[in-house]
Amino acid sequence: MDGAPPPHSEAPAATAPQVQQHTGSPTDFLKGVVGKRVIVRLTSGVDYRGILSCLDGYMNIAMEQTEEHVNGVVVNRYGDAFIRGNNVLYISAAEAL
Amino acid sequence: MASQILPLELIDRCIGSKIWVIMKSEREFSGTLLGFDDFVNMVLEDVTEYENTPEGRKETKLAQTLLNGNNICMLIPGSDGPNEDQ
Repeated sequence: MDGAPPPHSEAPAATAPQVQQHTGSPTDFLKGVVGKRVIVRLTSGVDYRGILSCLDGYMNIAMEQTEEHVNGVVVNRYGDAFIRGNNVLYISAAEAL
Repeated sequence: MASQILPLELIDRCIGSKIWVIMKSEREFSGTLLGFDDFVNMVLEDVTEYENTPEGRKETKLAQTLLNGNNICMLIPGSDGPNEDQ
């Protein structure tokens, strides 16, 4: 299915020997960013700014106090927001981690 | 046979250095590579996001960012981005 990460047993065989994962890997970033203010940009270009409640390996996101920005203008506010991970372009920290 | 370098190894060598990321769409990112995973989701720092529109190129500055690997097309290690050498 497009966008869904394959099960780990199907991780690319071509990358054996496994590359060294230093600190700073995506899972470390995700652990460090929970509870912080983030900017989530979708592939559509819409931004969501709020406090990251939790997320999973598919980049599904739950956020609080979310503002929806279209072309830099706030068009909506949500107390709680859930974003399906296949739409996410990036998650960026809005405050120091 | 000359020793080969695997693509992911090339990216791994770039950790800590600047990298230029080109997406499948008219969008690019440049920043310092902190890390990546098997799906080439990338963690970048001090990022500039470039949006190429018919009106011109728009730049946005971001702090630490996790970039979804789904839309990544090309990676250029050691480059400052589209404005290099200007």
